[in-house]
Amino acid sequence: MSSATDMKFLIVDDFSTMRRIVRGLLKESGFNNAEEAEDGVMALQKLRNDRFEFVVSDINMPNMNGFELLAQIKADETLKHLPVLMVTAEARKEDIVRAAQEGAAGYIVKPFTKATLEEKVQKILQKLGK
Amino acid sequence: MSHPTPAPAAADHLVHQQLGEMARQLHDTLMQLGFMPRLGELTDCLPDARSRLSYIATKTGEAAEKVLNLVDSAKAEHGSIADATRRMAQSIVADPVKAVASGSVMNFVGDVEASTARIDQHLTDIMMAQDFHDLTGQVVAKVVKLAGDIEDQLLKLLLQTAPAGQRQVDPALLQGPVVDPAGRTDVVANQEQVDDLLASLGF
Repeated sequence: MSSATDMKFLIVDDFSTMRRIVRGLLKESGFNNAEEAEDGVMALQKLRNDRFEFVVSDINMPNMNGFELLAQIKADETLKHLPVLMVTAEARKEDIVRAAQEGAAGYIVKPFTKATLEEKVQKILQKLGK
Repeated sequence: MSHPTPAPAAADHLVHQQLGEMARQLHDTLMQLGFMPRLGELTDCLPDARSRLSYIATKTGEAAEKVLNLVDSAKAEHGSIADATRRMAQSIVADPVKAVASGSVMNFVGDVEASTARIDQHLTDIMMAQDFHDLTGQVVAKVVKLAGDIEDQLLKLLLQTAPAGQRQVDPALLQGPVVDPAGRTDVVANQEQVDDLLASLGF
């Protein structure tokens, strides 16, 4: 198992700016290994073709949204162990509850701070014992 | 098994009645639409609104990309100064006379001056990259006015045409950032409320 700072992240968001911001914040938190996908379809392809250890995903995306991606990950025996942190502008309680019930490891509403992202990632890693 | 065929006279009457009902429905619909002459004018403006929104997306996307590139450059510059400062401090501590006599100190001072000038330029460029706000702000105001006019007309049309108790909101319309959470109990206003909600669910 790799150390936490070597962990490979997949950042899923249809806005390249947001992907870049999340990637930059993860880098500043010591996580240098990250790739990007612009929707759930591309994310699933990457997850099935490469080894990732953490997914940070938006919800509102074209082609396959974050909830659909989460469901696909949790239904896949080889992927269901992956922690999925939702980072989204969706602030409806029913979305937050749904994400939790469907297996998301955490939920962050945009706009967010570097401290919030770092705290949530660390909390998830602690739960996973990493 | 065959169905009983209506007598010719009765069939003619049925067709006539159906045609009458269709004509009535068409007339009513046209009358209702006729109450909304502004709606037709406003829908003509929609392609323009789309292009305005595309313009906003392009301008803000370009600005964000530009700022992020400039921040990357400034951070790299800053990192170089920090490294050079650490090296210079070590040189001075080790042999202050040699550090000055060899010209290392003056070279360092020159490098810092040049580097800070480049960082200052990056910061100025970042400031200038915000000019999109002025341009897009004006466009947003126009699109918001158009949207308000269309909403007003559509609401009138809706009230006149929708059967009572059958008004439904398309869930897709609810997606996206909550602009004003005040007074709403179905949304959260900040990350603390997200955490509280998740905690109440055992997370």
